[in-house]
Amino acid sequence: MAKTFNFEIVTPVRVVYNGVVQGISADGTEGSFGVLADHAPMITELKTGIIMVEDSSGKTMHFAAEGGFLEVVANNVVVLTDTCIKEGEVDIEKARAEKDAAEKALAKVGSAEEKERAQAALKRANTWLKLANVH
Amino acid sequence: MLSTREIKQRIRSITSIKQITRAMEMVAASRLKRVESRVIASRTYTGKMHQVLSRLISCRPPEESHPLLTDKEHKSGNVKIVLITGDKGLCGAYNNNIIKKVVEFIQVHANKNVKLILVGKKGNVYFSKGNYASAKERYIPEPVEKFGYDKVQALAAQLIDGYEKGEFGELHIFFTKFHTVMQSFAMGIRLLPLEKDTFDSKGKLVGEYIIEPSVDQILEHLFPKYIETQIYQCILESLTSEFAARRVAMIAATENAGEMIDELTHTYNKARQEAITKELLEVISGAEALVR
Repeated sequence: MAKTFNFEIVTPVRVVYNGVVQGISADGTEGSFGVLADHAPMITELKTGIIMVEDSSGKTMHFAAEGGFLEVVANNVVVLTDTCIKEGEVDIEKARAEKDAAEKALAKVGSAEEKERAQAALKRANTWLKLANVH
Repeated sequence: MLSTREIKQRIRSITSIKQITRAMEMVAASRLKRVESRVIASRTYTGKMHQVLSRLISCRPPEESHPLLTDKEHKSGNVKIVLITGDKGLCGAYNNNIIKKVVEFIQVHANKNVKLILVGKKGNVYFSKGNYASAKERYIPEPVEKFGYDKVQALAAQLIDGYEKGEFGELHIFFTKFHTVMQSFAMGIRLLPLEKDTFDSKGKLVGEYIIEPSVDQILEHLFPKYIETQIYQCILESLTSEFAARRVAMIAATENAGEMIDELTHTYNKARQEAITKELLEVISGAEALVR
């Protein structure tokens, strides 16, 4: 059996996942990467994207995380992120609505800050929709 | 001695007070439950964030100091305080305790220019007049209960910006840490510059750390996030403490009202008994007079 390690996804609102897994893969700001057991200690920043997790029984799960940080220390991996949802929890209607709103906001002339916020919202909504379609 | 009618009226009014306090207790209890689970969830996040940050900081060469870590204390005598109080009273000494802490702080740091940013109506009321009114900088009129993460983000961004520009040398936050329903602690902590000791002891790592993209780049994003989560956590802690304090105060008030009702009922019965005895005596003596 493959070696396992502890994995946690924590947001300010709740602990989204806490369990023993075989491996994960995520999108870092420097590119996608995977983590297996006995990974060297690491801290990295995440992009808004999908985190794939293979749990101890070999089942894969997907999570959509909005940015955040990932830390690996002695077979304990923690993801700290603003919002994170599990596959199956996506509210497609809401995600579509948010996507539309973000696109409209982008089309309008606004300050750089507003644009940035809309961009982030669009990315998040897209990731949610992607998550809803992965399985 | 009150007449029986007056006593009855008092019993009635205290009974309705008791009903109100009991209702308030139940409202506080249900709110407490809701916010308590939030505070516990957010504690996990804040705790982990602290760990990650402290490990990251321990990776940096100590001689290269980050602007948010260095002591600017000597440069600027300005101290900024974020004070979190409640919007309403009737919660025991909750508001007083935290305000007292801040006043103590101002007295101890009399040589510095302490400025307050107030969250919560009660703090605003206290610092709008009286001896310490000059310390008030501004009041954020948002109800504490509705003070969401986005508001915290805006506030944190402003504060970090002001700190980086050197408008003030220290940032403290005064809040009430929730422990149990019966116990919470009014306290102040320093947010900026970071208290180095809280980071040094924990999380020292042996061996190489892979850091992507780079320590400074991660710090640049992690740091504001850390301040945000700290402020958010403090608000949640305060809110939970407030509901807990209100609940305890209202339980006590309900109990006191009950005791008062018992006492008044006792006096009422005594007065009634006395009135009956008096009437009987009058009837009997009247009858005796007639017989003669």
